[in-house]
Amino acid sequence: MITMNNIPLAIIFVVGAVLLAILPHRVRPVAYLAIPALAFYFLLHLEPGVSLNFHFLNYELVPYRVDRLSLVFGYVFVIMGFVGGVYSFHVKDKLQQVSSLLYVGSSLGVVFAGDLFTLLVFWEIMAVSSVCLIWARRRPKSNRAGFRYLLVHIFGGSMLMAGIILHYNQTGSMLFNHFEGGIASYLILFSFALNAAVPPLHAWLTDAYPEGTVTGSVFLSAFTTKVAIYALARGFAGLEVLIWAGIIMAIYGVVFAVLENDIRRLLAYHIISQVGYMVFAIGLGTEMAINGATAHAFSHIMYKSLLFMGVGTVIYATGESKLTRLGGLARAMPLALGLYMVGAFSISGFPLFSGFVSKSMVIHGAEIEHMAAAALLLSLASVGTFLHTGLKLPYFTWFGNSRLLKPLKPRPVPRCMYIGMALTAGICITIGVQPALLYNLLPFTVHYQPYTASHVMQTMQLLIFTGLGFWLLIGKLGGEAKITLDTDWFYRRPSRLAYTVFSVSICRFFGVVEKLSLSLVRFITKLSANPPGYLVELVMTAKYAFLRTEKPAPEPATFNPDRYRIPLGVMVLVVLLGLIILLAWDIFI
Amino acid sequence: MKRICLMVSLIVFIIFVLLDLFSGIGTGHVVFPWSHIAGFFALFGFIGCLIIIIGSKFIGHYWLQRKEDYYDRNDNDE
Repeated sequence: MITMNNIPLAIIFVVGAVLLAILPHRVRPVAYLAIPALAFYFLLHLEPGVSLNFHFLNYELVPYRVDRLSLVFGYVFVIMGFVGGVYSFHVKDKLQQVSSLLYVGSSLGVVFAGDLFTLLVFWEIMAVSSVCLIWARRRPKSNRAGFRYLLVHIFGGSMLMAGIILHYNQTGSMLFNHFEGGIASYLILFSFALNAAVPPLHAWLTDAYPEGTVTGSVFLSAFTTKVAIYALARGFAGLEVLIWAGIIMAIYGVVFAVLENDIRRLLAYHIISQVGYMVFAIGLGTEMAINGATAHAFSHIMYKSLLFMGVGTVIYATGESKLTRLGGLARAMPLALGLYMVGAFSISGFPLFSGFVSKSMVIHGAEIEHMAAAALLLSLASVGTFLHTGLKLPYFTWFGNSRLLKPLKPRPVPRCMYIGMALTAGICITIGVQPALLYNLLPFTVHYQPYTASHVMQTMQLLIFTGLGFWLLIGKLGGEAKITLDTDWFYRRPSRLAYTVFSVSICRFFGVVEKLSLSLVRFITKLSANPPGYLVELVMTAKYAFLRTEKPAPEPATFNPDRYRIPLGVMVLVVLLGLIILLAWDIFI
Repeated sequence: MKRICLMVSLIVFIIFVLLDLFSGIGTGHVVFPWSHIAGFFALFGFIGCLIIIIGSKFIGHYWLQRKEDYYDRNDNDE
């Protein structure tokens, strides 16, 4: 029943990834681009309502389900796969190319999954393929960060599996739709929230994303969190706790970003902040809010990957990623700066860029629900976002003076990176200038006009005076060569202790138990081989220990005819006594 | 340089306040407590910027920041 119309997009990517693994390296980048292009062609012909049903063992599965919500995510993921492929056209590392394609494909698999089993399968494939993008950097720090990432995500996956099994037991259905309350949904919510990087479950993101490869982190920034947003929107829209979680996330990311020195970690904290807007909107649950969350997810994928691409070129060119070691690159890398600033203006919500038409929809959703504090706090997070992503990071990376002893000498950057950035920047500007293109894809009809005079003025006031604040405090804003403790402290700091308790002590315990059981075996063997002899030996050892008689001779290795043995009569006496007892037992009882 | 900057920003602020006063703020369909204050978002942007920077630096310096090799002892021990 799989026709042209309902071939799951994920399958295209999975097959493509397998093909990519066997193609020669000269052909791989081109093949890499062909796959999202092909998927886009299929997407254009996809109508909401397409689905694929399937019987597997006892379960009624719907591995492929298309509706407006999943379709818009499908579009942005495929587009992201394509521009990411352009950006990483120069990469020759097969691991990165195959795993990033698999990552995109599994994200599509989750987004179009109609049942929880398919979701779980693709969720786990996402975790594994994304960790390969971190490990592909092949240095010890990245290896360790990748392991922590994998541990956290496997934990989340186990929670998800537990929740799904419980859910199936309670409701008998594997379909992925809105969840009502109950312990199964809380487990599934936990897992979705972990992937969406809701604090305190967010530390994996800021720990691992800066350790990935230059091109790998571009992919990482775009998919895992947005897939979780889709899942939350599908399963938990309107859940009130998400409102609070979203607001806290938005401010949390901004506060921690102030303290960050590593440029990609700074951007990672801003991912948390922006995803907070989406989580908040999902918590609101109204049509405007869900539209806002989806639109913001779409723009966010585009501008965040553009930002990561921009700093990726800087890291590729200089090998440095810390603000304390960067500076003065404007003359050498002006194009990277310009394209980066397109992303920075987008994330800050400047008019004519994509953030303006998407972020404001979320805030408008808060306003029409009369949530004054929420709207103000989210605007505050906007202030912080512009401050760090739009002002601090570019200033200290491209301007200012490098604090290194030798001036930075950036090496030339492959042109494909700039082409990828230009494509993404073009999309950001296009959405900003012509928001209807995005609004037509949204799940509900849009009754919102972002370009009103008051709104534009409000935004310009906010941003220009944030700029003034930045300019006045610029001396205090330079990076400091320090790290900030985050909730991963709880599993990193005790890691040695945990290793001792859970690995070393357990091994030692097993060793002791093994020794004890072996000596028990030895004892039983000796006893059973020669019970009277053993008892004699025991008595003689006891006499030696307590009465100081002569030391008993050690067990001879060979047969010694002169060794002391109990008289045969003793054994006959013992047997006779036993028989008498048996007889007495029989007669008298 | 700083004086020029401050003069320019004061002028811009006054322009925004005038624009606000003459463009009918506080008359949209969602009215908040601050909808009637002219130039509210300019002040919000400026003061919010200061609060974020000062607040975060405070949290960092007095609580959460550590040296860069803080975790290396934990990571490297086998």
